[in-house]
Amino acid sequence: MVMPSFVPIFRTAAAALLFAVGSAGALDLQNHPGKAIYQKLCTECHADDGMGAADFPDVDPLIGTRDLQELIGKIERTMPEDEEHLCVGDDAKMVGYYVYHAFYSQEAQNRDKIITPDVTRLTNEQLRNSVSDLISTFRNAGFPPKNDEPGIKGHYTLDDRERAGNNDFERQKFERIDPQIAFDYGEGLPGLPEGMTSDMKQFSMDWRGSLYARDTGVYEFTIRTRNGVRLFINENNHNDVPTIDGWVAPDNEIREVKGQVFLYGGRRYPVRLEMFKYKEKLAMVEFRWKPPHGADEIVPDRVLTHHSSPESFVSEITLPADDRSYGYERGTTVSRVWLDAVTTMAFEAADHVVEYADELSKAVTKDENRDKRIREFAAEFTARAYRRPLKPGERESYVDPHFAGSESVDDGLRKVVLRALTSPYFLYPGTAFDSPHGPWAKASAMALASWDSVPDNHLRKFASENKFDHHNPKRLEDLAWRMQWDSRAHYKIRGFFHHWLELDKATEIAKDTELYPEFSDEMIGDLRTSLELFIDDVVWSDQSDYRQLLLANHLFLNERLGKIYGKPEVKGSFQKVSLPDNARNGIITHPFLLTSFAYHNNTSPIHRGVFLTRNIVGLSLKPPPEAIEFEDNHFPPNLTMREKVTEMTSAKACMSCHSMINPLGFSLEHYDAIGRWREEEMNRPINDDGILETDAGDRIEIKGPRDVAEYAANSPAAHEAFIRQLFHHTVKQPLLAYGPETSQKLEESFRHNGHSIRYLLIKMVMAATEPVIPQS
Amino acid sequence: MNDLTARRQFLKQLGVSAGAIPFLSGLPGVGNLLAANQAGPKKRVVIMFSPNGTIPKEFWPDQAGKDFTCKRILQPLEPYRHRMTVLNGVSNNIGGDGDRHMRGMSCLLTGTELFPGNIQGGSDSPAGWASGISIDQEIRNFFQSQEATKTRFGSLEFGVAVPNRADPWTRMSYAGPNKPVAPIDDPKRMMERLYGKMEDKESLVSIVDDVREDIKKISSKLATEDRVLLDQHLQLVSELEKELASQSESDELAHPMPDIDPKIELVNENTPRISRIQIDLLVNSLANDMSRVATLQYMRSVGQARMNWLGIEEGHHGLSHEPDNNAEAEEKLTKINEWFAAELAYLVKRLDETPEPGQDGSMLDNTLIVWLNELGKGNTHTLENIPFVLIGGEKATGFKMGRYVQMPKNTSHNRLWVSVAQSMGHQIETFGNQIYCQGGALDLVSEMTAPNPAPAKPKPAQPKQTG
Repeated sequence: MVMPSFVPIFRTAAAALLFAVGSAGALDLQNHPGKAIYQKLCTECHADDGMGAADFPDVDPLIGTRDLQELIGKIERTMPEDEEHLCVGDDAKMVGYYVYHAFYSQEAQNRDKIITPDVTRLTNEQLRNSVSDLISTFRNAGFPPKNDEPGIKGHYTLDDRERAGNNDFERQKFERIDPQIAFDYGEGLPGLPEGMTSDMKQFSMDWRGSLYARDTGVYEFTIRTRNGVRLFINENNHNDVPTIDGWVAPDNEIREVKGQVFLYGGRRYPVRLEMFKYKEKLAMVEFRWKPPHGADEIVPDRVLTHHSSPESFVSEITLPADDRSYGYERGTTVSRVWLDAVTTMAFEAADHVVEYADELSKAVTKDENRDKRIREFAAEFTARAYRRPLKPGERESYVDPHFAGSESVDDGLRKVVLRALTSPYFLYPGTAFDSPHGPWAKASAMALASWDSVPDNHLRKFASENKFDHHNPKRLEDLAWRMQWDSRAHYKIRGFFHHWLELDKATEIAKDTELYPEFSDEMIGDLRTSLELFIDDVVWSDQSDYRQLLLANHLFLNERLGKIYGKPEVKGSFQKVSLPDNARNGIITHPFLLTSFAYHNNTSPIHRGVFLTRNIVGLSLKPPPEAIEFEDNHFPPNLTMREKVTEMTSAKACMSCHSMINPLGFSLEHYDAIGRWREEEMNRPINDDGILETDAGDRIEIKGPRDVAEYAANSPAAHEAFIRQLFHHTVKQPLLAYGPETSQKLEESFRHNGHSIRYLLIKMVMAATEPVIPQS
Repeated sequence: MNDLTARRQFLKQLGVSAGAIPFLSGLPGVGNLLAANQAGPKKRVVIMFSPNGTIPKEFWPDQAGKDFTCKRILQPLEPYRHRMTVLNGVSNNIGGDGDRHMRGMSCLLTGTELFPGNIQGGSDSPAGWASGISIDQEIRNFFQSQEATKTRFGSLEFGVAVPNRADPWTRMSYAGPNKPVAPIDDPKRMMERLYGKMEDKESLVSIVDDVREDIKKISSKLATEDRVLLDQHLQLVSELEKELASQSESDELAHPMPDIDPKIELVNENTPRISRIQIDLLVNSLANDMSRVATLQYMRSVGQARMNWLGIEEGHHGLSHEPDNNAEAEEKLTKINEWFAAELAYLVKRLDETPEPGQDGSMLDNTLIVWLNELGKGNTHTLENIPFVLIGGEKATGFKMGRYVQMPKNTSHNRLWVSVAQSMGHQIETFGNQIYCQGGALDLVSEMTAPNPAPAKPKPAQPKQTG
């Protein structure tokens, strides 16, 4: 989706502006010569106030943040439309100056207005996380250790039991961590620890630990086995219904038992697999899964840990998609469907809370008087839903009456939970606070920015002790770092890259299987994993250097991908593979993106070019004046793709954008429609040269994708675009709502700190605690 | 009265609470009530299971015949004695793999052997699932195959206090070999299955008021342009409130109705209440013609329930293994079985009191209920003389009720299932393992109470050699 052209994308040259304003004295725009030019040449389409004439609904308001020079340059080259020669040189300078100061610039717009954060509701992601995590704050979660030995803990029992019901038999036990559960025991016993021997016949295992769910969605579990098995995912109570109950093995043949669970991404869930062999000839067991966006595989060690985790509340309710008209997800619309879904989720959560009331309430008080304990819990639940302590009188209004009017204390609790989760104080974070700068408001802002969720117990303690004071910014920074290590922060950051790099397009990719027989769902799944591993590797390194995203010369390949992308020596699962000079340059030459932005039977320099222009290089694009479909058969057959595209976009109207799009798209022509390097197209050598001319007056020679990568890695425009998009994803509000200089400060900090993405995020989380306050 | 109101009133009489009603209208099955199936009398069968055998001397009447006396265990059913047939001499003769409890449970409705498998009971060879379909599913399939008897669900499996484990002790119903059907013992889940997701109106109404209050408070502190979203939210909430209000008007016409609280917690001490709720839901589902076959499973075979609502602290199964001379244990077991009989009596009463929709008489006239157990007696694990009790359904089946019948010793229970199937219109000659069907259906339509000896009891199969 193309962004409207007035969305700010160029860095405001703040210093230059101030200087310019200063030198013009008290900005005398009424008598400025530029105004006369404007009225002669521009008013017909743009109207006197720059908002666009009624006769020309396609003309956007003249608002943006190109700096003065860029604006003048744009006017000179492209305005008036089809008669650009009428306004060049000094005329362009004059009218540019007038337009800039009269209505175009931020300052012009802000002259009478203060921009503050919008009142928005929780996005869908935020709602799911908040309800689940709010309940989890009453459970003993603990902080998962880093660098855990991956794998699940197996408790093995061997015995010589001849019949059940007879408890008089020998047992041998041992434990160990198994990286995966994939064993074929044949007729024998499981492998024994060093030094242990056994002549037992029967055995049973109880594997316990936690499973990390990377994405939100349905997880399909399969156990392949000859024997009796049970699986519990996100169930810590052994009396609960198992996720898979395959206890009865009808014969000793290999069979598959399956079960499905819906899980939220970025979290660990308790997992328990039990298996037993009793007087059967053979034994084997394989624990497999198919995660959302993934293929069926044995559950890998990297998602397993032997540490336990508490159960958490998960709702499968579908929520209507959030509004994305601003270019990022925001909670700016409500509908009946949404209200019903929120209400249903609240009922589900209330049932869950009542079911586990005894366990959850003990986190508040261990009072033996259950009635009293549940009431205290209900009040605390409401406070945590509001993200602040209850004010005097609130308990009497919001909590106690529900107990008075109920038959049982559990019924009262249910109603309190329902009320808390359907209240606007919960659904519209920010409305619960008297001031956005108070400690609880700040804690809430940090939790939403870092995790898209509610404050955890540590953060609430920080707020209650009012440690958010200005005199110790280091403390705030340390807090933000601590929060970033939480797996929910990982999940949110991954979400940014998903949006930025349009990873969800993967489901729509289809290729001509005759031309690309290697193409398959597994290949696309692998490519997506490869890109995610690449991003993770850069982002979670110590330097977390943004430039490495664009410049790094390596790919993560597994055996299947190694064969396709010229590295047949790669065996087994994913490894980091270095590539010869500049064969690959970070994300822009990653085969996933190259495949995704291509036709089913050919490359697409336009799609690739648009993606690079908007997302990576950070230039703005209007929608095309005419929508033209690419039809291959309209061209003489011997033309290369580059030649076809050049011809299609040669009209002047097209060139205002395609002068940028095309050189960027052509720079990738060496990579075919599934991202493989090729030297020729139709027996003619590939031409990936070009010249990129930006509005700022830069002229960049492109001799291949490396040049594009370097430009994107180093240009201020690209940095600004990256920062803006990341800020929107993190805070879900316009940058200006956090102060007119926030954007600039973030950019400076970014450049002074090695372009560290993670440090940039820390700064954003901290900035989120300082919104502009409306003046009453 | 209009169609909608009539439907609602009818449902209330069946014990579906007012709170649940707004969401019922328009659901499939519900509309059929008044335009009832006019294709002759309906036939229904309900099978109720309770575990661990009975106490023979407190259960079996003294003499075969029409004027038998209900002993202690059957006392709760005394008001329905004239509609009841107590069957003695019918045994579960199925041999093969599995211990008596497993065979008692999983061969009971299937009449065929268990597969060899990996589940070891207290004795005998390890076993897997049953190797054939159960009679309730057999009849279900028959009903579903014909337009006139087809229903939305075909069959419904209700449970009370059934553990969340799938094994041959917890499953009596099978859709086929190796295909156990799990009962639903959570009234909320059952309610959702029958009527879709429902939220109680009372809670929704209170939410609406609170949300309005909150929005007012918040909006008063916001600038005008910032109120837009919250105003929209408020409007949607008002819409919801209007919908709820328009339904509550017709509720004023309600007759008093039983209380169903489907949110009930599934803990031991709530078992008696859950039992009644499940029975209410069962009757309700039959009345709405959502199904014509139902099973009601109490606990499981080897059930170890601690029935403290009867003042009994020990587990049921443990008690059932006390020797005959332990008078205290016998007393407790008698009380336990009396309780099961009382639950059965409640089911019978509900059906008896409910008019058959669109026809004369009560639902009980058309519904055959079979009460059974996995064992004849707990401490011997005997599968002989399973305490079968048939109640109701005379119009549908033609069975003569109001008698105590003594079948020849060890009459195979397969033959009872053949009788039941035939009485439902399904003309099969054998059911389950054929060798146990010699002699064909049991004669339950004539007046006799002590038939001539049947053919010799067939030899049970030997346990298969595994490996």
